[in-house]
Amino acid sequence: MRVTRRRLLAGAPIVASAPLASLALADAYGADSHMMDGHMMSAADMAAVHTSMIGDAVPAPDGPDVILEPPRGYEPGPVRDYELVASEHSIEVAKGVFYPAWAYGLAGQAPSVPGPTIRVTEGQRMRVRLLNASDHPHSIHFHGIHPANMDGVFEMVDPGGAFTYDFPAAPAGLHLYHCHATPLKKHIAKGLYGALIIDPERPRPPAQELVMVMNGFDTNGDGANEFYTVNGRAFYYARHPIRVSRSRTVRIYLVNITEFDLINSFHLHGEFFRYYPTGTGDTFEYTDTVMLCQGQRGIVEIDFKNTGHFMFHAHVSEFTELGWMGFFEVVD
Amino acid sequence: MDADAPAPAAGRALRWRLWALVPAILLIGVVSATVAAGDSLDGLVGNAPPPADEFAVRRVEFRPGAISIQVTNPQRDDLTLAQVTVDDALVPFSVDGVQGARTLGRLESTTVSVPFLWVEDDPYTIGLISSTGIVTTHDVAAAVETEQASLHGAAGLAVIGVLVGIVPVALGLAWLPSLRRAAPRSLAAFMALTAGLLTFLMVEALAEALELQSALPGALNGTGLVVLGVASSYLGLTLVAGRLSGGGDRDRSQPLGGVGLATLVAIGIGVHNLGEGLAIGSSLALGELALGTFLIVGFMVHNVTEGLGIAAPVAEGAGSIGVGKLAALALVAGAPAVLGAWIGGFLTNDLLAVLFFAMAAGAALQVVVEVGRYVAWRAPGGLTSGHVVGGYLAGIAAMYATGLLTA
Repeated sequence: MRVTRRRLLAGAPIVASAPLASLALADAYGADSHMMDGHMMSAADMAAVHTSMIGDAVPAPDGPDVILEPPRGYEPGPVRDYELVASEHSIEVAKGVFYPAWAYGLAGQAPSVPGPTIRVTEGQRMRVRLLNASDHPHSIHFHGIHPANMDGVFEMVDPGGAFTYDFPAAPAGLHLYHCHATPLKKHIAKGLYGALIIDPERPRPPAQELVMVMNGFDTNGDGANEFYTVNGRAFYYARHPIRVSRSRTVRIYLVNITEFDLINSFHLHGEFFRYYPTGTGDTFEYTDTVMLCQGQRGIVEIDFKNTGHFMFHAHVSEFTELGWMGFFEVVD
Repeated sequence: MDADAPAPAAGRALRWRLWALVPAILLIGVVSATVAAGDSLDGLVGNAPPPADEFAVRRVEFRPGAISIQVTNPQRDDLTLAQVTVDDALVPFSVDGVQGARTLGRLESTTVSVPFLWVEDDPYTIGLISSTGIVTTHDVAAAVETEQASLHGAAGLAVIGVLVGIVPVALGLAWLPSLRRAAPRSLAAFMALTAGLLTFLMVEALAEALELQSALPGALNGTGLVVLGVASSYLGLTLVAGRLSGGGDRDRSQPLGGVGLATLVAIGIGVHNLGEGLAIGSSLALGELALGTFLIVGFMVHNVTEGLGIAAPVAEGAGSIGVGKLAALALVAGAPAVLGAWIGGFLTNDLLAVLFFAMAAGAALQVVVEVGRYVAWRAPGGLTSGHVVGGYLAGIAAMYATGLLTA
């Protein structure tokens, strides 16, 4: 039962089609090795710099695995059970750069930063058991509505210990969860966070869905991020563009958990989208750029009118050039 | 040697050499055992701290459309370069022509090339990120295209070397006719002035060597290099002084004087100008120095006093000296500035710069000692006369005052 649910959540990843897509893109930008040969740098090379990460065609084995398939065959049940394990785990945050993260993972699976997406339907009983397999006390603090003794602030889980968070999911919308142990900044920056989707009882219209958690990594401990990513790996979606179909709506569950920097943002090229703040209502802004502080989140819905490669990135140029950039490959 | 003795004597010598091998063999054994024990020794006293994982950036060059970074791994262990940033932006890079990450062994050096459309005169920050996410940053105050090894560039550096090295020394030597007519007391004062300015150069060179060595990777032991440079040039010049004074035949109680002493002074100043030329050449090449007319004039005025320092012992000495010999002295003292400028302009030079300045300090010290002995022997009233003390202080003051022009 749980295995099925897990598979549903992890989804048959869209990245499976990425290697081909990235090769095609590398070709389009002429980003083969000749750009390094001479001293001179041409305008074509400049274009290639933006996509310099392209060419590494094979996704890393423990790359992010949080892209969601649309919840097909989704069967709401009375209780949603999750078992999360907090542990210390080295993750590759940029090509060749490894970070000693603290990460949540589903029991029996490799942990990841961001952690697994937890998805329930409003009103369902949400039961999340946290097992602490690390050397530090941790907790899970869910954003949402719940009793005070389920808040992850007073119920610290010591190393080797466990705690079950058990409450009805509310309100419908897009939320997040993160560790609330002190020092808080450290526990978040190290990677203990993830997205929490509470679907409304009347499901949203079908769409190609994916989660994007915007974050950063302070790899040298200077209190500032060296890398910025969505879903944990710098330039991942630049190397492996996300292939989507033009005829279907793309729905992004967008969460910002970036530590140290006051804001992050999301900007889409060549298209506008509907932005539903926190995903709690029907009102939206029709725009191509949104700004989010830490903990802020919203649902993005895109109806692509054109095919081709469309860039998306933080409209904080520094973040863009430190890894928070990718492409949609829109196909018919 | 006794005709009957050679066999036992040779045997004794052989035995002595064999016994001398014993400590070396024992050392090899102990080292092997320690290496075999390996990591088990690390845990004897606490835990070893994690590696710092910082690189040593030796030189950053700006070429048209590219930035070239010479980097060394100063750590005990291998160090992997995983990412490179320019002004907080990840950039594609290649190492020795191969794109992407590269692992460097201990003290291994390599050149990282980044295709980049840099802006002339803009400041840049280069970041080298290890596989463990540690960032080594290197600031460039202003990007200026690095002079490539070319005839044109070499000629330019040579002109600068001649202007700041040979010309002022030659001008200073022109004081010779007037010094020849000076009273013995005044001449003693000028000899003391020579010692004073060399003392100034010695301290200046030593300070420069120590400052430069502090920027070297710790594993290269810059302090030891300074000691080595000072000692080798001091002792080397002592040997030269012995040769100039006619080998061991001459009475050692009589110090070296005249042209011999002038040659020694010229060598001491020449070694200093080697370092000075190197500093100017590398600063120019890396765009750290705007060598305007004012600065060239400053170096010229500063170095004219060096010519005076060479002229004084010549004037003090007996006998005449030809123009050819004077020109040779000017070349010995000034030409190394040209050589230094070339080395500094075209090569990675931080090690050489430390060594050169250390050698300059040692050479200057030796010449101060040599001049001091001469003044003590010749000057009316010896080392404690007012002329000598005044001349010595005047030498230091002159170097200080003219040095302000080069700051």
